Amino acid sequence: MTAATSTEDITARICAYLATRLPAAREIELIDLERIAVGWSHETFLFDARWRQDGQPCQQGFCLRRDPGNALLRHLSDLREQFRVLQCLESTPLPTPKPYWYEDDPAILDRPFLIMEKVPGVCPNPWGREGRAYYAAAAARGVLPDSFTDTLATLHTLDWRAAGLDFLGVPDAGSDFTRREIAKWRAFIDDTAAPPHPVLTDLVSWLEANAPPTRHLCLVHGAYRTGNLLIDDDRISAVLDWELQVIGDPMYDVAYVLSDLNREGTDLLSNLVDRDTFFRRYEDATGFTIDEEVCRYYHLLYAMRSVAFWLSASDLYASGRSEDLRLARTAWSVPVVLERAARELGY
Amino acid sequence: MMEPVDLIERIAAALRRDIGPAVTEPYAKTQAFMASVVLGKVAAELRSSTAHAAAAALEIEQMVADLTALAGTEPLPRAVQAALDTVRREASDAALANLVTALYGACETLGGNRFEALLGRLRQTLRARLDRALEYTA
Repeated sequence: MTAATSTEDITARICAYLATRLPAAREIELIDLERIAVGWSHETFLFDARWRQDGQPCQQGFCLRRDPGNALLRHLSDLREQFRVLQCLESTPLPTPKPYWYEDDPAILDRPFLIMEKVPGVCPNPWGREGRAYYAAAAARGVLPDSFTDTLATLHTLDWRAAGLDFLGVPDAGSDFTRREIAKWRAFIDDTAAPPHPVLTDLVSWLEANAPPTRHLCLVHGAYRTGNLLIDDDRISAVLDWELQVIGDPMYDVAYVLSDLNREGTDLLSNLVDRDTFFRRYEDATGFTIDEEVCRYYHLLYAMRSVAFWLSASDLYASGRSEDLRLARTAWSVPVVLERAARELGY
Repeated sequence: MMEPVDLIERIAAALRRDIGPAVTEPYAKTQAFMASVVLGKVAAELRSSTAHAAAAALEIEQMVADLTALAGTEPLPRAVQAALDTVRREASDAALANLVTALYGACETLGGNRFEALLGRLRQTLRARLDRALEYTA
């Protein structure tokens, strides 16, 4: 577990930091500091800062993400990269938080952190009862489902080269994107002390033998679903959680949207969008045809990715780098994911 | 003296029923309930381990015989035969994973039909192993 930092301590240290970044600000104070208890990858704090400048009162909302030191995806997407991605996306039509500062000096908050805009909106948990009710009501109103689809279309059609996102790595033609993803998650798995699992070996071997070519390259979010999207007045106000993004096949995100893992107790995609409406609206907006066979392939690649997450999580506990028992619990999730993959593979 | 598995189950129940609800601090409360879940799974795995090991040994024996029969008179590629021999000796997950790798590696040499037949039989065994694991993981 991350070393505890008291609210008073972190409040004082953030105030001191803001004073260095807002030199004209006087009497800086934080109000409503809230530590968001979601995700296992980075610590997130929301707060408003209030200060006086030239005799006038000022107030602004901020979101701070801090590296907890043992994050699940730490090797893949550090905060410096997240900050750079947000900087690149500022000039695009995609709604994202404005990035303000990134710091890696441990003297400030012990570990690297970034501060970005606190965008208005809510982010209900799609797996909780309240969240499911929220999305069901929004689905019935009909505005949010369209915004969900349109925002994905915006993501997939933005000019990622012009935005400077080619630093993420640009796959070659053919199946290079898929092979890169397999290699990335294989390295993640190999980095754990987990013993070989024959079903996982079968899954990875099948993925390698059947890698599809990529027809279009775009910015892929990697986890586009409700729960990673901020919503304000029934519209997506910000796409969050920039930890898994790559330049790759838009069908990779589409497969994630289509996955039944991202909905619960409903046929609506991501608990929100009617499947036929999603197909029609997405294809109209992007000009891409949704290839369901390729999406089926990516569902299996997501199974590999999930196994990599769970093995990595349980390894954090097993190796003593974390004391959080939720991570220990994930070891038993691996056979569940592999069972789904085995069914997809026909056994 | 209690059996270890009974003791673990009792502790898991106490964490879920008595300790977890009494804890007020959210993180500690989550940890108490999660400890109950983890111990419950450990106990279930321990309780089934002897029967599962026996079933696995029988299955491996049958699978090796079936794969040998499926191979027929034509020799298997060297890597596949070596991996199969290892499975016969070790019957471990690592040995099975190695056999999967060897089969995919020899796919072209084996030809589509032979590859599918051998992999299909191997997958029957993998399925049975998964089903047993799901008894205590799901």
